[in-house]
Amino acid sequence: MNQTSSAQSDSTAVATPTFAVLQLSGCSGCEVSLLNADVWASQQELVYMPLVLSAEDLPPVDTLLVSGAVYSDDDLHRLQQTAHRARRVVAVGTCALSGGVANLGNRESARRVFLDDTSRRHLPRLLPQLRPVDAVVSVDLYLPGCPPTPRLFEAALKLGEPFEPAKTVCQDCGRIKTRDRPDRLARHSGVAIDPEVCLINQGYLCIGSSTRGGCGAPCTRAGHPCVGCRGPSNGFISRSADEWFAAIKRVFERMTAISREQIDAELRSPGLSLFVFQFADYAGAPRDIEKVL
Amino acid sequence: MTTLTIPLSRIEGHARVVINLAGERVLSAHFQATELRGFEHFVQGAPAEQMPIIVPRICGVCSTAHHLAAVKALENLAGVTVPPKAVCIRELMMLGQVIQNQATSLFLFTMPDLPGQAGVPSLFHLGEVHSKIAPRALAVRRAGTQLITLAGGQFIHPVRAVVGGVSGGIAPRAAAEMRASLNQALTRASFLVDAYWDLFEGLHDRIGTLGDDSPTYYLAAIDRGHAYYGDRLRVMAPDGSVQAAFPPCDYAEHLTDVPIEGSYSDGTLYQGELVRANSLARLNIDPHPTTPMARAYTERFWQEWGYPAHAILLFDVARGIELVYAIERAIELLEQDLDGDDLWVGCTLRDGQGCGLIEAPRGPLIHHYEVQGGLVTSARFVIPTQHNMLAIERALLVAARRYVSSAGISLELERAVGRVVRAFDPCIACATH
Ligand code: SF4
Ligand code: SF4
Repeated sequence: MNQTSSAQSDSTAVATPTFAVLQLSGCSGCEVSLLNADVWASQQELVYMPLVLSAEDLPPVDTLLVSGAVYSDDDLHRLQQTAHRARRVVAVGTCALSGGVANLGNRESARRVFLDDTSRRHLPRLLPQLRPVDAVVSVDLYLPGCPPTPRLFEAALKLGEPFEPAKTVCQDCGRIKTRDRPDRLARHSGVAIDPEVCLINQGYLCIGSSTRGGCGAPCTRAGHPCVGCRGPSNGFISRSADEWFAAIKRVFERMTAISREQIDAELRSPGLSLFVFQFADYAGAPRDIEKVL
Repeated sequence: MTTLTIPLSRIEGHARVVINLAGERVLSAHFQATELRGFEHFVQGAPAEQMPIIVPRICGVCSTAHHLAAVKALENLAGVTVPPKAVCIRELMMLGQVIQNQATSLFLFTMPDLPGQAGVPSLFHLGEVHSKIAPRALAVRRAGTQLITLAGGQFIHPVRAVVGGVSGGIAPRAAAEMRASLNQALTRASFLVDAYWDLFEGLHDRIGTLGDDSPTYYLAAIDRGHAYYGDRLRVMAPDGSVQAAFPPCDYAEHLTDVPIEGSYSDGTLYQGELVRANSLARLNIDPHPTTPMARAYTERFWQEWGYPAHAILLFDVARGIELVYAIERAIELLEQDLDGDDLWVGCTLRDGQGCGLIEAPRGPLIHHYEVQGGLVTSARFVIPTQHNMLAIERALLVAARRYVSSAGISLELERAVGRVVRAFDPCIACATH
């Protein structure tokens, strides 16, 4: 980390590239991941990140990392006010890309409870609908993941090798797909999970096959089905949620003997965590695959 | 009336302090949380078994605590007893969480307040004399993340705890590698805690106080040898006497929720009185950590500041002791056999209610769910930062009175506000959830 601020540095020297972090409605998990990245000893200078740095305001900056969703009027205001000060805007994490977990709050029943609460009127109000960052400002690079791995932050700040994600989580995972077609779900069974065999063959609805790789599949390696936090793989990025959903169902129908109705019920159950990541509300305009890490 | 609004940085989330003055008289001090996502509302209707995956996203700083509180609540509902090895793996997740959190809070959040006449903007501005601190601090927090990943699967939002146990063990080789890296982290942590302690004493000399607020009740969910996986809440009175412990399901009989005007967070009272949670509460309630280095630091702590200790800024030093303890304890636990088939017992999730308790870095965290037909019908999150909200407000009032006088408002006021708030290490994403 360079400790002289660019304002003080010798004007003949090449300016140190700067970066800033703007945090909207999220959980700080993205920032916790960034703190684990190898960017702190580099030539990139941090100029704004309230979580770790006391600074008055966001100055003009080379790279602005935006985490969290646009959920309150305050989020909207801060994003509009600051994005134009940056040369590049990077949307960081599932919340910023597609609403993430808070997207569950877009359900009508949940919203009514918020909007009826007038007792706290001096505070930022929630918007009628939660939005991803690119619904408000144009985004140059997307870092998917909940949170994105430290490696992605390094790539976004152009440190180290360029990042090439695996096509799907299945490629990262490496469990072997067998011919076993389980006829029931394995939930709460207490039966030890075979570390070599695909989780679907063991009765778990893992959606790694259509989820973007590049995370190293930590969840499936730990014996938990992938819940899709990296979002859609390239083939699905610009397609509708329904097409994607149909593809996930086809995988389960092919690999298990569980009835179509049950699979449907499982996947469609309200608020199932798959929805948290995979079926959120995109900006509308298709995203350029080249911009997604 | 004059209103001072003081923005806050180096804490988790969005909050501000508002102080109302009439001339030189401080009328009131408020700590206001300004964000909200609404988890209690939007998890209604979610399948209960998905809660351990959804709720860590309440907060990426203390996600492991939410993951485990959720699993424990569902286990309370199902009436299942978890195998000892699984408990041990879960404790390792929590120790990773404590290492990561205490290192973040100590070095990234509060250490910049200590040096010189006015502190520095961030850990990265400590200057040449302290050039070894930042890289070591980052390495120690990374060791915490590494432990969460090993024990919990995903590195920020763990997945490995499942109702009835854990979905996989820790192989002996991976455990040995982790021990090696924790041993390195321990050396670094003790260097850092010593450096912190020195700078802290410098601050004490400069400002002449560690906090003038009077004692309160203290709250922690710790059992001997299970520092962060307790099953009961323990309470210490302001005079140091220990009160009866109570199980999490009884929380409503002891803890009352108080809405705070102008804030998205509520506060908590214990039997109608102010209460404090977090590191100093734990150290007061369990004053003799079982590991050697942490014990030595604790003895020094009691010698310098007396037992029980009440000064607000001592929460910071207590966090340093816990950092050392968590590393030492994790090394001990990783010596055990943590692999095999006996990690998980089967069960059925029936309808009803369940409460799960965990001692999070900021204090006792309770998740209380009602489940019908496999879906959550109501969820209540009893959040550690909320336990401290009213104590923070009173400590701010005391600090404001110190720095506002007939001579005017001292420049030290804004710094004091930052120090008081950071001593409690509040987490706003959790407090408002
Ligand atoms: S994407 Fe995930 S880790 Fe990042 S802020 Fe959102 S919930 Fe937290
Ligand atoms: S395995 Fe799936 S849920 Fe886990 S980190 Fe990777 S994409 Fe996210």
